[in-house]
Amino acid sequence: MKMKKVLAAALTGLMVLSMAACGDSGKSSKEDTITIMVPPVTGTYVEDLQGWIEEYRKDHPNITVEVIATSWDEHTNKLSTMALAGEAPDIAEVSYGAVGTYVEMGVGVNIADYMSKERLDDYDQNALDYMTMDNTLYGLPLYITIQALGGNREMLEAAGADVQKIQTQGWTYEEFLEVIKNGTKEGCFGFVFANSGATTADFVSIFGVAAGISSNFTQDLKYVYTSENMLSLLQAVETMTTSGYMPNYSVEAGQRLVMLETGQTMLTGKAMPLFESNVKKNIAGKADGSAVEGTIDMEYVFLPVPTMANATESVYGVVDGLIALRNNNTTEEHLKNVCEFMDFLSSGERAAAVDNAVYLSSVCESGRKAQESFTLDQSDLNAAAVERAITKVIAPPAGITAEMNANAKTMMDETIVPKFQALLAGETTAQEVYDTICKDAKNLFGEENCASGWIK
Amino acid sequence: MASGLYSQHLNNRKLYYIRQVVLVVFLVLFALISLFPIVYMIAWSFGPAIEAASTSYSIFPKSWSLDSYKAFIDYNQYSLRWLFNSLVVAVFTVLGNVIFAGMAGYAFAKINFRGRKVLFFMVLVAMMIPYQVTQVPLYILIVKQFKLTNTFAALILPGICTSYNIFLSKQFFSGIPTALIESAKIEGCGHLKTYGLIVLPLSKTILAVMAINTFLSSWNNFFWPFLATSTDRMFTIQVGLKTFKFANGTLLSPMMAGACISAIPMFILFFSLQKYFLEGVTVGAVKG
Amino acid sequence: MKKINKKVHIKQKFHKEENISGWLFIAVAMIIFFVFTLYPVISAAITSFQKYKPFGSDWVGWSNYSDAVTSPLFWKSIKNTVLYTLAVVPMSLLLSFAISVMILPFRKKTQSVFKALYYLPGIASGVATAVVWLWLYDSSPSGIFNRILGLFGISSVNWLSSSKTAMPSLILMALLSSHGSNIIIYMAALHGIDNTYFEAAEMDGATFMQKIRYIVFPLCKPTTLFLLVTGIIGSFQVFMNAYMMTGGGPDNNTTMVGLLIFNNAFSYGKYGLACAQAIMLSIVIAFLTMLQFKVMGDDVEY
Repeated sequence: MKMKKVLAAALTGLMVLSMAACGDSGKSSKEDTITIMVPPVTGTYVEDLQGWIEEYRKDHPNITVEVIATSWDEHTNKLSTMALAGEAPDIAEVSYGAVGTYVEMGVGVNIADYMSKERLDDYDQNALDYMTMDNTLYGLPLYITIQALGGNREMLEAAGADVQKIQTQGWTYEEFLEVIKNGTKEGCFGFVFANSGATTADFVSIFGVAAGISSNFTQDLKYVYTSENMLSLLQAVETMTTSGYMPNYSVEAGQRLVMLETGQTMLTGKAMPLFESNVKKNIAGKADGSAVEGTIDMEYVFLPVPTMANATESVYGVVDGLIALRNNNTTEEHLKNVCEFMDFLSSGERAAAVDNAVYLSSVCESGRKAQESFTLDQSDLNAAAVERAITKVIAPPAGITAEMNANAKTMMDETIVPKFQALLAGETTAQEVYDTICKDAKNLFGEENCASGWIK
Repeated sequence: MASGLYSQHLNNRKLYYIRQVVLVVFLVLFALISLFPIVYMIAWSFGPAIEAASTSYSIFPKSWSLDSYKAFIDYNQYSLRWLFNSLVVAVFTVLGNVIFAGMAGYAFAKINFRGRKVLFFMVLVAMMIPYQVTQVPLYILIVKQFKLTNTFAALILPGICTSYNIFLSKQFFSGIPTALIESAKIEGCGHLKTYGLIVLPLSKTILAVMAINTFLSSWNNFFWPFLATSTDRMFTIQVGLKTFKFANGTLLSPMMAGACISAIPMFILFFSLQKYFLEGVTVGAVKG
Repeated sequence: MKKINKKVHIKQKFHKEENISGWLFIAVAMIIFFVFTLYPVISAAITSFQKYKPFGSDWVGWSNYSDAVTSPLFWKSIKNTVLYTLAVVPMSLLLSFAISVMILPFRKKTQSVFKALYYLPGIASGVATAVVWLWLYDSSPSGIFNRILGLFGISSVNWLSSSKTAMPSLILMALLSSHGSNIIIYMAALHGIDNTYFEAAEMDGATFMQKIRYIVFPLCKPTTLFLLVTGIIGSFQVFMNAYMMTGGGPDNNTTMVGLLIFNNAFSYGKYGLACAQAIMLSIVIAFLTMLQFKVMGDDVEY
């Protein structure tokens, strides 16, 4: 560090001598403006951010930060437009699945070049893997959301489920099927998964783990949805919808939680640990009339997705984080400032505040430390289930290229999701959907890059 | 006026009344069907100010109150400013279109200048490119070249004289008999005078139609204002309303309240321009 | 070309004046048009030959175009868009024309009320309207339309999530919410028809339908042409309804070209491909527009 400064000073001197006036070559005290674009990651994120910026500026008075606040719905569209225009914000919130798009565009930044090894070591390797593509690190993780199932404890037990055992040891697909069969009653479904529009992709990813599918690609980098595991998954969905345990119409994302809260379903997905807080708040709201109409008293339990025979149990995890992006103003010095500020936001108390708000534990040492003093309003059993689930998350294999990633996204949006919707509506069969997926995937990836047979 | 289309049934008033009643019944029925969604919007704007999802809805809210209107105003310190921003943008967009697109439409219809066919053809073709792909170059232009992010200029300029309105006015001005303009010219009127003194007074209807439709599309425009603004202070109402929708639910009633409030300026404009809609377009007025 | 030159030569002075006033009249409009419309269009056209990257695009020749042409989804989306347009545009024009004619025999006050009623659905914010329609079309038994059907003992319909009903649902939505401004434009045109025409026809003993056919239709032709052309252009570019209501599903049965272009540009980072698809779409629209002018516009250029 010192060496660098000396060098910089010497260089500055040289340049001043040789060119008389060429501006300083970037001392760290140079004025710099960083733009950051975020959706409401937590309810108070944008306000919190202002506070953290103030705090940061105490040590870095030369840095000004501009915040662009967006809404969840349109965050990606705005970010893409800005990036395409070469005017991307320096830092943006993204889900790991979107990293590839920006890398393909050529606006990604290898942040390892601008951060010290010690700072990177603060983050869990597992979480960093999600932000890595082609062995290059593009961003820093804020949290791993584990997405699985949530249910009504009383109803589950009435349907013969041993909730505690499921939470601590997982369950098989057969057990799951039996439970949702028993739980389906007049006016109440055994299982409701939000699956309308774009959320269909969630269903495929989250329930995919039941068939042992934990990423778009297998460990040897073959496209996974052409494997027999996918066929089993599709057949399972076919069974659940045709038998009436699950609605055969699409359910809006906003509806699933309400259906759980009002006793219209026993189990729901996608569910996050955070829903425990939503459910409690809603029940408390019965007193002042702010609760959803028809709210019943219930205890929320967070459950893993069941596992089919011959499949390895895993839990679907999504990493959301911050990535650094290149724009027209980007210089080396600027990137250094950007990465330092990004690191500041993704670690310590900042990370802890976000993770507490979403009921998750931090993915960096400093964040976990800051979280110690904070206790979540979470039942012990749910806490244990969450802790177990996190250990079951499998990061995507290393070596996926941006192009593979983009192709996988295209396959998901243009083939799997549309066909899956037709399957949910009972308009096609599992086998037909599987055949179409195989055909399209082989065209896109080449037959040799598609998985076949059963993957363990 | 075109009332002559219908027979007055002067020798059989009964028939006349029966016809009127049948028409009213049909018109009202169809109006009710198309108003269906709006009725829901208005009804639910008086619903409770809580996050909700549709499975919990009854057809009409159980309790009616103004809570959601209050919630809409309190939701963001700029809630009301969003309306003001939309108003400023819409007013300038309308003025620009009525003046510039009107003049251009007249020139394309009635002035025989060089390059008119080519230019008009270009205007037409430009309409055919889907706007999704022109947003990126436009963004580069406004943000990178002109540095106009978060300004009214950025919100107004791209829509201040649209191809659609040039086409609309050209189409209507074409209907004015050329003889009328020729005779004005013989009496020594230049084009500007002819346009201002003879053509404009005959074209109030079409300009009013242009004004209301332009106002409407500016008011309801979402994507461009969303791209061109980055602070909530400069949001337009449509961009603001979108923030009422979250990942796991929607603040339904406050959103509807906002939508209802945002419809009021449209309504005022509609009724204040109303009398022009009934005046008839130039074509007939001149020919008669 | 030769003919024009000759004409210019003969009436040179007159034409010079015409040129100057013509150019003055269109000056502002054209500056705005060149900067904010034409420049982005040309830029998009150039991008359609590139693998676009914000910092240094690569030229790829026609490969974006060949990618577009060989993609079955592109053709499916064209098919969807054509279906949608065929259903919405003529029906919507016919409806607005019929309603305008029906409003005509009433007093001015009554006319205003009806026009306001029909204009109202257009006034409502697009964002809020989409939320309401989603709720009307909710496929669960608690969805509004399903509850209404339930009153008649009809079982729930899977409105937006079944291949059979998704597209008709979008069409119904468009028909019920898009006629306001058409009606106003038609009313303006109808009011412009002079009574002397009808009086003369009356004397010849023309029936109501004959008057519509021989007087109203021909005199409203420029209006119809305008509404038809802009209606088709708008309908071919439509994507907001599919974007907000169905996301293109199920089974891509409501994927419009507009939505595909939007997704390619903003979700997949394939901006060059999106531009190529947009240019191809424009060519289709241009062809259709020309056809309409040929068939309907004997008195108008283009």
